[in-house]
Amino acid sequence: MAEMRDIVCEILEIDPDEITEDSLFKEDHGADSMGTIEILGLLEKQYNIVIDEGELIRMVNLSGVFAVVSEAAGWEREADPAP
Amino acid sequence: MVTGLGVISPIGVGLAAFAAGLRTGRSGAAPVRGFDTTGFEHDIACEVPDFDAADWLQELDPADLGRASRFAVAAARLAVADASGDPAAAEHTVARLRSRHGLIAIGTTMGESRDIDALVAQELAHGPAGMSPALARRINAGRLSVSIAHELGLTDVEPVTVPTACAAGNYAIGHGYDAVRAGDVDFALCGGADALCRKTFAGFYRLGAMAPDRCRPFDLDRRGMLTGEGAGVLLLEDLESARARGARIHAEVLGYGLNCDAAHPVAPDSDSVARCMRLALDDANVEPEEVDLISAHGTATKANDIAEARAIRGVFGDASPPRTVSMKSMLGHTLGAASALAAIGCVVAIGEGFIPPTINHEETDPECGLDCVPNEAVEADLRVVQNNALAFGGNNAVLLLGRYEEPS
Amino acid sequence: MTTTISDWSAISALGLGRPAFAAAVRARGTAAETATPPDPGRARLVPRFEIREVLGRGGTRTMDRVTALAVATAGHLVGGTDGERRADVGNEAALVLGTNISSAKSSMDFARDTLTQAKPFFVDAGRFPNAVLNCAAAQCGIRHTLRGPNATISGGRATGLLALNYARRLQRSGRAGAVLCGAVEEFSAERAWLEGAAAAPGALLGEGCAMFLLAPEKDDRPGLAEVLAVEFSVCAEPAGAGAALGTCVDRAFTASGESPADLWAIAGSGGAAEDDVLAGHPAVRLRSTDLVGDTHAASAAFALAAVLALAESERTGDARTALVTAVDRDGVVGCALLRLPSAGDTR
Repeated sequence: MAEMRDIVCEILEIDPDEITEDSLFKEDHGADSMGTIEILGLLEKQYNIVIDEGELIRMVNLSGVFAVVSEAAGWEREADPAP
Repeated sequence: MVTGLGVISPIGVGLAAFAAGLRTGRSGAAPVRGFDTTGFEHDIACEVPDFDAADWLQELDPADLGRASRFAVAAARLAVADASGDPAAAEHTVARLRSRHGLIAIGTTMGESRDIDALVAQELAHGPAGMSPALARRINAGRLSVSIAHELGLTDVEPVTVPTACAAGNYAIGHGYDAVRAGDVDFALCGGADALCRKTFAGFYRLGAMAPDRCRPFDLDRRGMLTGEGAGVLLLEDLESARARGARIHAEVLGYGLNCDAAHPVAPDSDSVARCMRLALDDANVEPEEVDLISAHGTATKANDIAEARAIRGVFGDASPPRTVSMKSMLGHTLGAASALAAIGCVVAIGEGFIPPTINHEETDPECGLDCVPNEAVEADLRVVQNNALAFGGNNAVLLLGRYEEPS
Repeated sequence: MTTTISDWSAISALGLGRPAFAAAVRARGTAAETATPPDPGRARLVPRFEIREVLGRGGTRTMDRVTALAVATAGHLVGGTDGERRADVGNEAALVLGTNISSAKSSMDFARDTLTQAKPFFVDAGRFPNAVLNCAAAQCGIRHTLRGPNATISGGRATGLLALNYARRLQRSGRAGAVLCGAVEEFSAERAWLEGAAAAPGALLGEGCAMFLLAPEKDDRPGLAEVLAVEFSVCAEPAGAGAALGTCVDRAFTASGESPADLWAIAGSGGAAEDDVLAGHPAVRLRSTDLVGDTHAASAAFALAAVLALAESERTGDARTALVTAVDRDGVVGCALLRLPSAGDTR
């Protein structure tokens, strides 16, 4: 989570203590659509995952990002991920 | 005056094939063959299939040119042949051009970017010393325009490459128009060229701007652009020069407008786009109600089509804006060639009396609110056509073309 | 209609801004730079140019060096000395910027990512605009709110002159009032590799941006220089460069009605045969490659800046014109003829 916070803060050009799990990238931190795409791109590369573009609408804050990344990376599954 | 047209496109090489393709709504989309697409989840683009520069170049060795320059030079040869009426008379036209002062202006987005991909692959394999001198000598963007001079044996020319991204074709045509109009030059060979490469494909893919399979401008379910490649070159002359040659006049450049959003590196600004259209209309001395057709930038991304439609309705009114088509539905986004190929498409439309359709259309997005002439060409009497180009960095260029009417 | 240059700035190995450049030109040595093989470790770099220090941290995360050099130089011409925007450069001002392939490093880094990352699309979205050749001009427009025509121009060593002629046509066709017109080149290991592979060793590579403010047509104040003529030709073979340049020079004098006898300075861009133009003429000779290294796409712009810099301090007497030349290895040849105000009129 801290790693994701750092990635997001780097893209948004803000300090880590300015952001919370729920503060909104666009409304609270001035992100535009390109910023969200940059965040998605860096996360995919960092965790070697592929995030469906449709998930962008959920990636509005850090909790949303964490949820999407966890699912894409299969972290929350106990059993083997479905093929 | 537009007296020659040269086309290298994903739907046809040469004016006749291009015009036939536009009329039949031919799609240039196909699986990519020019580079390895392993790892991408989709691989559709609009390449120029089976292009062999040796078919078109008479003087230069294709090995000395990158792919974008080859397209540009081939299109220039085709434009000169087209301007000669009879292709066998092309040498006579070239001789005439050699004796006059001219401008060569070619627009591009990525230049010889494909060669840069190749150089990087060499560097990864063998280190910097493994970079090929022949490739390194091909990559300067200026070569897209000066190579045309070398191929045609033109020395009394000003060759300039205008790399203003996806509006570059309109910029180059406009620059040619200004130079001829001012009497600086007797003719201008102008247009745009780009060659597809993996870096370009990856970039648009990464931005989420690329559709998986079809380019569907103004459609409710559109999912973005397809990348493409090619070149379009126009020969412009003033009226006296055209008459002296007994040249056929395809159409007339009426004017153009340029501005910059100065806002966002990739997303367009409706108000600024509208302002650019007004600048073009003013420059051309054309009232909005005189515009019979708009050839849109129409990339089919969610953002572009909405912003562009809003700008069009802002200038032309909500009630009945002109029919607005996107040739990118057929050609893909040919980047620096896009507005040049679309301008040639506008000239074809004027001359042959039909509107090229917006293909892949199922349901018009009500937020766009435009008649995009879906799927099938329609016959139309067109006197004035507007060609939009909205590039990265808010570089906007709008061109107006008109039917040339011989004074009685 | 004449084109008037009313101000200029430059960022280069000689420092940042017009005063630093002018002082360095005044202090220049007379010997030509000894040709040295290009080497990634040795080049004429802009001193202490860290992008986020010079331009701040806002919006500069992905900015490349070419873009930063252009944005910073344009900033000198847009803002006055007190940080306020100058009155004669409004939001409707135009920008024309010359480049070769913009940032070779940006393009090659992007290509490298698509070839080496775990997935071919694990490229940096924020850096894709840097791989597009109009990036620097676009960022100048965004950061300095320049909403007039925004153009990028490319023509090898002749780029600066081609950009100047493009800017003149914008003004003459009524599309622009004030125009910021310049050219930029960055140094990087990537550029050094490419130059090393492409061409025989020449002058040390340099980097920087030189930019000029072209006053609007309606502004009739005498400026720093009037651009009387800009002429081009293409030479099919390198051996023909001298003759092609001679033709351009002759045309420039004829078109302007000026006589070579009044030529005070000749400034070259470091291309073949440029040193031989008007051989034997007593004019002062400058070469931009001597002053700032080989700045390729920016070399003609730096030659022009050198003329203006020298004119600030050294021009006396009746001689009142200056010639800037460029010969590009791909065959574009060009020159610009300028008229300078009378020696007593300093600005």
